[in-house]
Amino acid sequence: MAELAAPSGKSSLREWLTTSEPRSRAQARLGNAYRSWVAFSRNPLAMFGLFIVLVLIIVAIFADQLATHSPTVGGDLRTERLQPPSAAHWLGTDNQARDIYSRLVHGSRLTLMVVMLVTVIAMPVGLLIGTVSGYMGGWIDAVLMRITDIFLAFPRLILALAFVAALGPGIVNAIIAIAITSWPPYARIARAETLTIRNSDFVVAVRLQGASPFRIITRHIMPLCVPSVIIRVTLDMAGIILTAAGLGFLGLGAQPPTPEWGAMIASGRQFIIDYWWVATMPGIAIFVVSLGFNLLGDGLRDVLDPKAEK
Amino acid sequence: MKRVATLIAASAMFALTFAPAKAETPPDTLVMAWQFDDIITLDPAEVFEFSAAEMMGNTYERLIGYDLKDVSKLFGVVAESWEVSQDGKTITFKIRQGSKFASGNDLTAEDVVFSLQRAVKLDKSPAFILTQFGFTADNVEQKIVQTGDYEFTFEMDQAYAPTFVLYCLTSTVASVVDKKLVLENEANGDLGYEWLKRNYAGSGPFALRQWRPNEAVVLERNENYAGEKAPLARVIYQHVPESSTQRLMLERGDIDIARNLGPEEIAALKEAQGIKIETGDKGGIYYLGLNQKNETLAKPEVRQALKYLVDYQAIADTIMAGQVQVHQAFLPKGFLGAVNDTPFQLDPEKAKELLAKAGLPDGFSVTMDTRNTPDITGMGEAIQQTFAQAGVKLELIPGDGAQTLTKYRAREHDIYIGRWGPDYQDPNTNADAFAANPDNSDGASAKPLAWRNAWDIPELTKKTRAAVLEQDPEKRAAMYEEMQREVMETGPYVIMFQEIEVAAMRDNVSGFIIGPSFDANQFGLARKD
Repeated sequence: MAELAAPSGKSSLREWLTTSEPRSRAQARLGNAYRSWVAFSRNPLAMFGLFIVLVLIIVAIFADQLATHSPTVGGDLRTERLQPPSAAHWLGTDNQARDIYSRLVHGSRLTLMVVMLVTVIAMPVGLLIGTVSGYMGGWIDAVLMRITDIFLAFPRLILALAFVAALGPGIVNAIIAIAITSWPPYARIARAETLTIRNSDFVVAVRLQGASPFRIITRHIMPLCVPSVIIRVTLDMAGIILTAAGLGFLGLGAQPPTPEWGAMIASGRQFIIDYWWVATMPGIAIFVVSLGFNLLGDGLRDVLDPKAEK
Repeated sequence: MKRVATLIAASAMFALTFAPAKAETPPDTLVMAWQFDDIITLDPAEVFEFSAAEMMGNTYERLIGYDLKDVSKLFGVVAESWEVSQDGKTITFKIRQGSKFASGNDLTAEDVVFSLQRAVKLDKSPAFILTQFGFTADNVEQKIVQTGDYEFTFEMDQAYAPTFVLYCLTSTVASVVDKKLVLENEANGDLGYEWLKRNYAGSGPFALRQWRPNEAVVLERNENYAGEKAPLARVIYQHVPESSTQRLMLERGDIDIARNLGPEEIAALKEAQGIKIETGDKGGIYYLGLNQKNETLAKPEVRQALKYLVDYQAIADTIMAGQVQVHQAFLPKGFLGAVNDTPFQLDPEKAKELLAKAGLPDGFSVTMDTRNTPDITGMGEAIQQTFAQAGVKLELIPGDGAQTLTKYRAREHDIYIGRWGPDYQDPNTNADAFAANPDNSDGASAKPLAWRNAWDIPELTKKTRAAVLEQDPEKRAAMYEEMQREVMETGPYVIMFQEIEVAAMRDNVSGFIIGPSFDANQFGLARKD
């Protein structure tokens, strides 16, 4: 008994996870997750993406410790303005004599917040609309999908701009505006997935047992749509960051002096020839983080997509 | 063999003729890079845009002109002399004889009367500069009357200060157009409005040859010009919207003058070989408008305190270097009666004292509507930092120009950071905006800056109205000085800077004058050596 109850050591944990005869649901699920992780970790690019995202999260959490200067209060305008990268200011200083490195570090919080909040708002909305639309069909489907079409008919940044103009500027309103504009693709994907499984035997079986449409959608259809939506969301995160940066660049995202990366590029644009670092540093940050999310999304697709080979 | 030699010679000739143009511009042509996408018309009765105003200034003549170095000196241009009647309501102008339009037609009193009447009748944006003297489309023919070949009378509804009238007659809306030529091109009784939008009928040192929107404007020397003929045969404005492109073109020598350079570009060009920088005071004023509907901002100590919380000199030296100079009165340098004192500088201790007196020892929070252009945002952020030194938390609300201005015009702001440009060269233009508010109710018909900031000032309004009627120029100047000091001390405006216009040009260009107003940039005597 004792030997069985305490499987110690790495190899035995691995055996427990990879066993072909799991003894409980939990073991089966964990085993499945482990296999996905193994497949994921074999993809070096995906691991690189994951690494970037983890670094972003760590930087955001420890921004106060990592930053060397205040992100919003600048130094002396006459002596510390537009300084090139140096030991005192690792990435130089900007137009208001603020340390660019510290601003980038604090800006990571904003970027992460934008990405997470947009995901939290847009993903459930898209998922719900897509699955309901796909499962119910008929006029509900027609109405919901036409609404989706209307949203898809506008270029995203333009629609976000219009919403920000209506709601007023500010990072929260920018997040709301981006969320409002980013759910339609998720709804489309969820609907497509739903259509392929709504007439499967297991769904018919649940229906025969008297389950309500609500239960069928939330318990039996949504879980199956989640992976493809997650993949899409991860791939979209780069787009979300870029849209937020675009709004910031146009002066309609974060309010100054918030260290939003897009706004930082906008303020550095006028010095691009003589003081390249002001616009370049936040540009590199946006590029790296967007790339990280893209690589991560790509890796997740390889692992989670049921149709892809494992 | 001979044929081969001919061929070689011919191709050599060809190559020489069409060799890739050397970067240099032709010696008799001045090429300027400028952003002029604001031009909507070339009709002096309608032009109210910065770039078109400059073109009007160099291609048309007006009745009166002023000395670009000393604005208080007025002189006749088309007018030879003038005489004010006993009651002060009528001015009789004598026209200089022997002038000709570029078309070859003689310039007579008939043309002047026609031009003024035309501007009033068309009633476009700048027409108020003339109609404020009591003219309407119906009565102007009885009020501005030709009394001889070279004489006409100008009758106003009140005895306005002669300087006020004369300064107004220096603006582009009072340009003299060629009556014969314009009427030849009239369609459906529009006084040539459609035609003159894209054509030219003037008598200035240059003639407008061509305007290709967002591409180029071409001026050519007017051979019939009555004054000293322009040394340059041609002046070409090239539309170059990006300032960095302008800088590169100037460095390469593709253009002679770059007109829209930012502070960092100017700093970089100062050290460049073969390039010089020229500056001139302009009328634009940067200020903060403090809405008196906000109870905190309505306290006089708070208004005063905020004036001590802007680091004027540091901003003018760094963020806005070469674009502004510190100026704290509502009349820009170069206007009659302008006050050039700068009593306020950054002094957080004094500001804290004043705030404590107002019952706000810990400061307060307030918002500022900030246009999302780099210069305004840059100033806003710098002000935000100095406000914080006395505990004033300034929240910047970014928006595009239309958004922020709409909010400002509806009096829904707390603080607005803006730029104000005078409409004409007389002090009344700014006094009327900053120091007059005839009706402070929400439904008022006149909405000057004092109204926008809900500053109720019956006394000051009376003073402003009295100043336009003062006949003695010196007394008039003194009245404006007094008003400026009062507004400086108590007004709901933190007036910070006066604009400087900067042009970077090749060394060989001389005689390009940056005047005090947008229509006073002159190159009639500019040359290239």
